[in-house]
Amino acid sequence: MAMSSAEPRRPASGPARRRGVVGWFDPRGRRLGGLAFIVNRLTGLGLVLYLYLHLGILSLLVQGPGAWDTFVDIALSPPFLLLDVVLLTGMLIHGLNGIRVGLVGLGFVASRQRALLISLMVVAAVVALVGAIRIFGD
Amino acid sequence: MTTDELPVQPPVAIQPPAVAEPAESTARGIPAFVGQVVSGVALIILLGLHMVAQHFVVPTGLRFYDDVIAWLRNPVVIVLEVAFLAFVTYHALLGVRAVLFDFGFSERTEGRITTALTVVGIATVVYGVILFAAILGAA
Repeated sequence: MAMSSAEPRRPASGPARRRGVVGWFDPRGRRLGGLAFIVNRLTGLGLVLYLYLHLGILSLLVQGPGAWDTFVDIALSPPFLLLDVVLLTGMLIHGLNGIRVGLVGLGFVASRQRALLISLMVVAAVVALVGAIRIFGD
Repeated sequence: MTTDELPVQPPVAIQPPAVAEPAESTARGIPAFVGQVVSGVALIILLGLHMVAQHFVVPTGLRFYDDVIAWLRNPVVIVLEVAFLAFVTYHALLGVRAVLFDFGFSERTEGRITTALTVVGIATVVYGVILFAAILGAA
C-alpha cells in the first residue's frame, strides 16, 4: 500500500522521540555509537567549562607568586588531584572518540567503527590509569 | 535505518554528507564538520605539546611561579600557546553551537547563536593574549 497523508505517523517511541538535547539522556534502544555520541557531547561540555576555568585560574599569575603558590598548594590536595584524573579521562575519551568520528565521517573505517571505538576506549582507560598513578604518585 | 543504526551520530550542525539527514541541514553542516575535524587534529598536536611542556620540561612540572614565568618568556611558547588557545576556543564553541542547535531553534535564532559564539570566541582569544601580556608585565 502506498504511503499517504492519512496513514498514522511514526510512533512516538522511535528515534524522532529522542531528537533534541533531552533525548541524549534516554538510553533506551541506544547502540554503542549512540552512547558514544552522548558521552562525546557531555565530555565536550565539561572540557569547555574547564577551558574557561583554566583561563580564570591563570589570571592568578598576574597577582604574583603569593597568589599562585597558594593556588598550587590547594591544587596539590587529593580532591583536586582526583579532578585532574577526571579531566585527563574526559580529554582522552573526547579526543580518541573524536578521532573515530572524524575518520568515519570522512568515509574511513566506517564498517569497523564499533571495533575502533572499543579499541580507542581501551587505550583511553589504560592511559587514564597510568596517568592517575602518576598524578597521585608525584 | 534508524538514527541509532547510522555509523556515527555527529550532531546536525557538524554532520558530514554521508549521514542521512535533510539535504539542507547536511549541506549547512559540512563546513562545521570539516572545521571540527581540522581543529581537532591541530588540537591533538598542540595539546600534546602543551601537556609535555607542563609536565615533562621541568622535573616537577610547571608548578612554581618562577618556572612558569621563565617558560612563558620563550617567544616560541607564546606563539604555540596562543595558537592552542585559538584552536581550542574554535573547536569548543563549534561544539557548543552544535549542542545549542540540538534544541531545534529557528534558522534566524541559529544565526544569532553563531554570531554570539563568534563574539565570545574572539573575546576569549583576545582575553588570553592580554592575559599573557599582563602576566609577563607583572613578573
